[in-house]
Amino acid sequence: MRQNDIAAISPNAPVILEMSHISKTFGAVTALVDVSIRLRKGEVLALVGDNGAGKSTLIKILSGFHRPDTGAIVYQGKQVHFGSPREARAVGIETVYQDLALINDLSVYHNMFVGREYHKHVLGFKLLDNKKMRGLARTYLDTLGIEVPSVSSTVDLLSGGQRQSVAVARSIYSSPTILVLDEPLAALGVREGAHVLGLIQNLRQQRSVSIILIVHNYNQVFEVCDRINFLHSGEIVLDASTAETSEEELIRIVKSGLGRQAV
Amino acid sequence: MPPSTQTAPKATNKVGLRVPTTALETVLVILSRYREASIAVVAIILAIYFQLASNGAFLSSQELSVVLRDTGRFGLIAVAEVMLMITGEIDLSVGSTFSLAPYVMVLLSLTWAFPIAVSALAGILLGLLIGLVNGVITVSFRVPSLITTVGTFFLLQGVVVSIYNSQPVVAPVQEPFNEVFGENLYGPADSVWSLHGLTAFTPFLWTVLVVVVMAVVLNRTTFGLHTIATGSNIVGAREIGVRTGRIKVYNFMIAGAFAAGAGIINTTQFASADPLAGGPFLTLQAIAAAVIGGTSLLGGSGTIIGALIGAFVVATLNNGLVMIGAQATVSDIYLGTAIIVAMILNVQVDRLRARRRL
Repeated sequence: MRQNDIAAISPNAPVILEMSHISKTFGAVTALVDVSIRLRKGEVLALVGDNGAGKSTLIKILSGFHRPDTGAIVYQGKQVHFGSPREARAVGIETVYQDLALINDLSVYHNMFVGREYHKHVLGFKLLDNKKMRGLARTYLDTLGIEVPSVSSTVDLLSGGQRQSVAVARSIYSSPTILVLDEPLAALGVREGAHVLGLIQNLRQQRSVSIILIVHNYNQVFEVCDRINFLHSGEIVLDASTAETSEEELIRIVKSGLGRQAV
Repeated sequence: MPPSTQTAPKATNKVGLRVPTTALETVLVILSRYREASIAVVAIILAIYFQLASNGAFLSSQELSVVLRDTGRFGLIAVAEVMLMITGEIDLSVGSTFSLAPYVMVLLSLTWAFPIAVSALAGILLGLLIGLVNGVITVSFRVPSLITTVGTFFLLQGVVVSIYNSQPVVAPVQEPFNEVFGENLYGPADSVWSLHGLTAFTPFLWTVLVVVVMAVVLNRTTFGLHTIATGSNIVGAREIGVRTGRIKVYNFMIAGAFAAGAGIINTTQFASADPLAGGPFLTLQAIAAAVIGGTSLLGGSGTIIGALIGAFVVATLNNGLVMIGAQATVSDIYLGTAIIVAMILNVQVDRLRARRRL
């Protein structure tokens, strides 16, 4: 079941994001060298590559956490510079980091709304509208089929899969234009992983949000992605649609560590 | 944080999740859910003990007004420490700010004849400024706040004693300012319901007001939510757009302002600004109040109400032991023990909570 029954993305779908010639060094460490990626509307793009290949650095540049040394980001036709995660979020780029960025001491619903809280005014003071946030979180998680013991329990009480699901739910709540998922399946059991994969597959079916997915398991790449970019030592060595490549080719590239031309 | 009233995950009989079995575990579970309640019990037991041991003198309005004044002083600073400790920082300079702000206030009024209320405002602004400096050094220059504030502690202490060679200055008395901020002492002839009697409690009442406001700020505002997020998971908080640096700086400024406010109230009470009024001992007593109240230094959680109760415990130990005829220094033995026991409990309850998912 390669592409499942989801239609391939139209080649005419508009390009929504173009990161071109991005380079980044951290002191003596070169993380990215002249990396360019393109993302179409509704597309699911997989970023694969070994540990330390620069995948996380690339998406942290996109999400405003790091600034690139060189290169440009064109988003929805305009060049953008993100000074902070807040700015990227404000224009519709949501990221689920590997560490999930969940606040253990806060409830599920507070976690859903940190950074975009709902308020009510009491005697002229701007207070949190906890009731509203609790209700919205409960309804939204139910819609996505995500089960948690209670939206009021703190997130440290949740299982790994529940935490991952809550983090994904939080990022898609604001209907982002681009959703970035850094290793959403790492550390999940088979069943929990399948559930998160199902969430992604649903989003892909609707083709309303473009997704960049970092994954390690090539099998899963072929299940949910339209296109694959292979990063190796800070460079893109392969850019192909999932239909044009195969798991075997990916494995060959990993082993040679050189890219398509050399294989 | 309000105690979670939710049921634990249903799967309490599954592998890895244990229901509390022994009596000790049950007690710890209750402690972790209702921290303020447990320290309140301790406070009540202490009050009853001193009431009995002093033949009914401890809970008299006169003695209580003294204990509550101390509670107000420690409590005001402890509340600010709780906010900072939730963000994962600490401020040891509060003891000097406590001395410097009122000293500057009095000098402004004496030298340039500022109305005392205006000078007091200037003192609070000075506190905010000290907090800003502490915050910026800690956040922007990445100096651990423990070190930053030890530095500013000595610096400010040095400044305040060098102004007039450690001499206290007599503070001007202007009504109603002095009356409102604690000039009146409770006399044997006073009734609690007279204005004079009531104003004898003003240092405490101001702190109660601040406690209520700060409890709302912590639990019901975006600022409070972001304060908890900053201390609980600073990287994660930053990733989802919390301005963690700013949140820390603001909390340092709150600490500076509250320490200045406590110092000003203290000066108003004695009509004298003493360069040695605060000092390291006051800093540590305020931190003790916060810790005894149930706030751990690990960040991410803390209780404002607990800080006030903790301040009452510290003030009760200080005054109660003296009342029943113990040497003043003996109270430190109890205070020291209380801090250690409270901290062990805080950490253990946190660990238990994380491990067993209570």
